[in-house]
Amino acid sequence: MTSITVTINGTAYEGDVEPRTLLSDFIRHDCGLTGTHVGCEHGVCGACTVQLDGEPIRSCLMLAVQANGRSLTTVEGLARDGELHPLQAAFRECHALQCGFCTPGFLMSIEPALRSGASLEEPAIRELLAGNLCRCTGYRGIVEAVELVLRDP
Amino acid sequence: MLVGRPVRRREDERILRGEARYLDDVERPGVAHVAFVRSAYAHARARVNKNVAGGALLLLTADDLVGVQSLPVQGAEGVELLGPAHPVLARGEVGYVGQPLAAVVAETRALAEDAAELVEVEYEPLEPVLSPRSAPETLLRFARRTDGVDEAFAAAAHVVSERFELPRLVAAPIEARGAIAEAGPDGTLTVWISAQDPHRQRAGLSHVLGLEDDRIRVIVPEVGGAFGSKGVVCPETCATAVAALRLGRPVKWTEDRFENFLAAYQGRGLDADVELALDAEGRFLALRARLYADLGAYLLPTTAIPPHTAALLMTGCYTIPEAEVELVGARTNKVPTGPYRGAGRPEAAVLVEGIVDRAARELGVDRLELRRRNLIASDAFPYATPLGWTYDSGDYERCLDRAVELLGDVEPGGDDVLSGTGFAMYVERAGGLWESAEVRIEAGGRVVVASGSSPHGQGHATAFGQIVADRLGVDAADVEFVFGDSALVPRGVGTFASRSIAVGGSALARALDELQRRMDETGRRPLAEAAGLRAEARFESPLVFSSGCHAAAVEIDRRTGRLTIVRVVAVDDAGRIVNPLLAEGQVLGGVAQALGECLTEEAVVDENGQPRTATFADYSLLTAAEMPPVATAFVETPTPTNPLGAKGIGEGGAIGTLAAVANAVTDALGGRRIAPPYTERKLWAALH
Repeated sequence: MTSITVTINGTAYEGDVEPRTLLSDFIRHDCGLTGTHVGCEHGVCGACTVQLDGEPIRSCLMLAVQANGRSLTTVEGLARDGELHPLQAAFRECHALQCGFCTPGFLMSIEPALRSGASLEEPAIRELLAGNLCRCTGYRGIVEAVELVLRDP
Repeated sequence: MLVGRPVRRREDERILRGEARYLDDVERPGVAHVAFVRSAYAHARARVNKNVAGGALLLLTADDLVGVQSLPVQGAEGVELLGPAHPVLARGEVGYVGQPLAAVVAETRALAEDAAELVEVEYEPLEPVLSPRSAPETLLRFARRTDGVDEAFAAAAHVVSERFELPRLVAAPIEARGAIAEAGPDGTLTVWISAQDPHRQRAGLSHVLGLEDDRIRVIVPEVGGAFGSKGVVCPETCATAVAALRLGRPVKWTEDRFENFLAAYQGRGLDADVELALDAEGRFLALRARLYADLGAYLLPTTAIPPHTAALLMTGCYTIPEAEVELVGARTNKVPTGPYRGAGRPEAAVLVEGIVDRAARELGVDRLELRRRNLIASDAFPYATPLGWTYDSGDYERCLDRAVELLGDVEPGGDDVLSGTGFAMYVERAGGLWESAEVRIEAGGRVVVASGSSPHGQGHATAFGQIVADRLGVDAADVEFVFGDSALVPRGVGTFASRSIAVGGSALARALDELQRRMDETGRRPLAEAAGLRAEARFESPLVFSSGCHAAAVEIDRRTGRLTIVRVVAVDDAGRIVNPLLAEGQVLGGVAQALGECLTEEAVVDENGQPRTATFADYSLLTAAEMPPVATAFVETPTPTNPLGAKGIGEGGAIGTLAAVANAVTDALGGRRIAPPYTERKLWAALH
């Protein structure tokens, strides 16, 4: 067992983990932040995407011990003062989710691109989304949500 | 009126905040974890060495399952069931790679997986059976014919025939399967399952465990997609329950993606010969179809349903007076099949629409004109098909007209491009059986609805809320819904076959009408005065038949074989639409799955029956970047069979699009039909 401390959404979480423990399992089962979902555990589906020091990463492809001393943001940290983040609100407005299992991963993948202030047209938006799999929506609502939040941030 | 309006979903906020609770998010005190020892061979004699590996709390093999039955098997009308039901754990022989041989329980999931890897299995490999056409054993048979088929073929001016092959697919919900079982001190069992409803899971567990169903409580938490694949109890859930009963502590099974590819039941898998007889004017006289379904090694509870549905839909949207279908459910050394979105209907659409296109080409008749000549007329409903189903309502030609209009003119591609367009009608059996609903008024006039339907992403609470709001005059957001807990909802049937609005929504409407009657009878109005009143309803109806026409424009690059789907049109008639936003969402999602089926998706095994597609890297779902433009439209012919006039929209998107793209690719190839998915390799080979 190795003792680690990871800051998640501004709160320090301490834990004793096996060196092989995935970051995704540490977030979910040691810290109890179950908004981050695990869809494939091999880095393809993107459901487990969180932000490490502000950049999106797949938490199933990183060991918890590698995050020791680092700072993470998960979907639970996206809302501000209890209000949905504009991206979250746009997802609701555009029917960008059905079962919702992939949704936190999409949100955490998209949000840094919005922060960067880049202006995106549809092909680029679709490329931005192409690292995450959704089996329910056919993606149209997600594309529209990104367009909406870029237009009206 | 809220019904008919694009109301935003009340489900979304907690999902967006990460507060939704799926199966693996459910924590039980003292929980242990189970992992499975799975067959490494497609077909073998197998013996598990029962030396418990270090750290394991329990090792279960078939020998430990005294009194535990194989899974139940659900028949379908006229189907002769011949094959074995799926055992919980394999005894003596394994029938597919991934079949559970033993269950190992340990303190953590990682330790359980470690222990499972250390369990020794001795195998004597046997020859695997992989082709449904040449399989020596059958799991089921079905045949139906009208009296005049042979005469009609003998008298026909034209007979066309074609062979069709459809690969197996994986439903691949982003949340894989899972269950948590917990035994109570009184011998009762509580099981949380990622499932489509609690009812069929409970009935399955009751059968397998020999435990009265009122001693089993099934709780369905939020579910990360199902698409048919979480409809009935699976061997792993049963083994998890047995382990919990033996250990006297909660046991959790969280399936990983690799297991889901190996062991979750798959969809489609059909090889078929179809013949169509026409008269000199191009009128359809008779159809013959022989279907070889690649069912896998055992019968799961609903393995019979998709091929039976495909067989009975073989006259499609057309007046074909005589028909003969024969279904051979072949036993192969692959994971069993079961319902996957569409569940027999996409197969029927590909076969019927493919043979119609073939006839148009051979007769030199315009394919749309040939369809118009033979479609069931809008004034012919209710329409009894020669194979025995009665279509309730529809306007097939209007669907076709609308699809033609939406596809518009298609520009031909350049010299290096083969262009094609395709159209496909479809008819979908939906609804049927019965469903339940209970409405009660609590203190302060709060409305609580408990439904036998069970959501897994569709937005039941939003759509049902619209029905409640219209009938009771309350704010939909104030209505509380209870779903998915067998202790809290009335007995019901569940969510599959695009049936929740048509049957579950109609049960709700009936319960609301009954509540109104009681309020009138007792003079207790408004709602605040009606606390304590309640009403229950059970709604039963015959099958309803949604329909539609999908169209596609495609281009194939002659140099590379690369297929580009230029655009897709989906016109669907699901009767009255309760929420067009959610209904369109269902169509778009279904179309995306069908496009995956066209472009990439195929569950492949090698010559030894070893799966070659067991990760998302090998079995590739479409991403946002690969989705072509999709135009959707609804035609609404309300069904007379229920108070809402609603049919079903959950599967239509997945039904018509594959057939339309298949016809477009065949058109681009000048009439040569190849099997999906239309990969560069296959198309290049077809061109060179």
